[in-house]
Amino acid sequence: MALINVAAKEIHCKIVYYGPGLGGKTTNLKYIHATVPKQAKGELLSIATETERTLFFDFLPLDLGSVHGFQTVFHLYTVPGQVLYERTRVAVLNGADGVVFVADSQRHKLEEDVRSLQELARNVTAQGKRFLDFPLVMQYNKRDMDNALPVQIMDQYLNTIRVPRFEAVASRGLGVFDTLKTISKMVINKL
Amino acid sequence: MDPQLTSLIVSERETRLIEDCLERLVDDTGANYSMLLDKSGQVVAAQGDTARQDITALGALLAGTFASSREVARLLKEKDFRVLFQQGIKENIFTELIGEQWMLVVMFDKRTHIGLVKVLAKRATDELTSILDTVRQQSRAKDAVISSSFRTSMEDTIDLLFKD
Repeated sequence: MALINVAAKEIHCKIVYYGPGLGGKTTNLKYIHATVPKQAKGELLSIATETERTLFFDFLPLDLGSVHGFQTVFHLYTVPGQVLYERTRVAVLNGADGVVFVADSQRHKLEEDVRSLQELARNVTAQGKRFLDFPLVMQYNKRDMDNALPVQIMDQYLNTIRVPRFEAVASRGLGVFDTLKTISKMVINKL
Repeated sequence: MDPQLTSLIVSERETRLIEDCLERLVDDTGANYSMLLDKSGQVVAAQGDTARQDITALGALLAGTFASSREVARLLKEKDFRVLFQQGIKENIFTELIGEQWMLVVMFDKRTHIGLVKVLAKRATDELTSILDTVRQQSRAKDAVISSSFRTSMEDTIDLLFKD
C-alpha cells in the first residue's frame, strides 16, 4: 500500500522482487544500484548469509526527485528465494504495491519457477488482494544460458495471465531497466 | 492491512497531529527521536534528532525485525509480540505495535529510563490509534489525489532515470 504524505509532499511505493532461489533477484538490485545516478539512490542494504544468499531481504530506496512538487520514492525489496523461507517472503511481501517475478530460464529450474509463482499468487491472495489485478511483471532471467528454455514454453507455464514480460541477463544488465520501468509505471497508475 | 486501499493518504492535519504526538513523546522522555512506521517499512513521520541516522533504512530493517518476531510468535502459538526492546551500549530501541498496521519507535540513550519510555509510549499509541483510524477512513473516502498529468510526468521521469 503506497503512502502519500500530503504535508511532506512525499509518495512512497514498495516493489518486491520475488522468485526461486539463485534466480537473480539480488543481481537485479545490484545492477540498478550500480547504474542509477547517485542523487537518486540510497544505500543497498542486504541481510544475507556469509555465502551471500539472501537471508531476509535486500533493500534499495530510489528517489525519483520532485514531480509536480511531490517527492516520489520507490522502495525495492528482494525476498529470499529458498523454499524453506516462505514465511520470510510473506513478511517482505506485506504492503507491496507491485511485484517483479524473476524466473530462472534454465530448463531444470522450470518446476521451481512454477512453484514459486503459485506461492506468490497464494500469498498475494492471502493479503486480501486479487492476484489478477495486482501489478505484476515477469522477468525471464539468464537468457544467455545454453540450457535456457524457449520463451514460448516459459510463457506457456508462467505467463498464462499475460502480464508484461521481459527477457533478461541481469548480471549484464540486459532487461533490468525495462522490467523496472514497467513495474514502476504500473504501480504509479494504480495510485 | 486494508486490502481495498491501494494508497494511504495522510493529510496535513493528521501529519501535524502525529508529529505533535511524537514530539511530545520525545520531549517528555528525553529520547533522541521517535518514528511512526507502517508495517511495510515506510516511515510515516519522525520527530527529534532524526538526522543522526538513515531513517529510511532503519524503517525497513525495524519492520523486518517485527515481521520476524511475528513469525516467532506464531511458532510459540502466541498471538503476537506487541513490544520489542533492543538494548545497545550507546543507544536503545523501543518498538510498540499500534493496531495491526503501524509501529511506534523510540530511540533513546542512557539518560532516559526504559520505564518512562514504556509508560509514555503506551499513552502515545492510544492517541495515535485514533488519529490513524481517521487517516484510514479518509484514505478510503478520498478520491485519488494523483492527477493524470502527474502520472504522465512520473512516467517521463521514470524513463529518464531508469536507464543504462
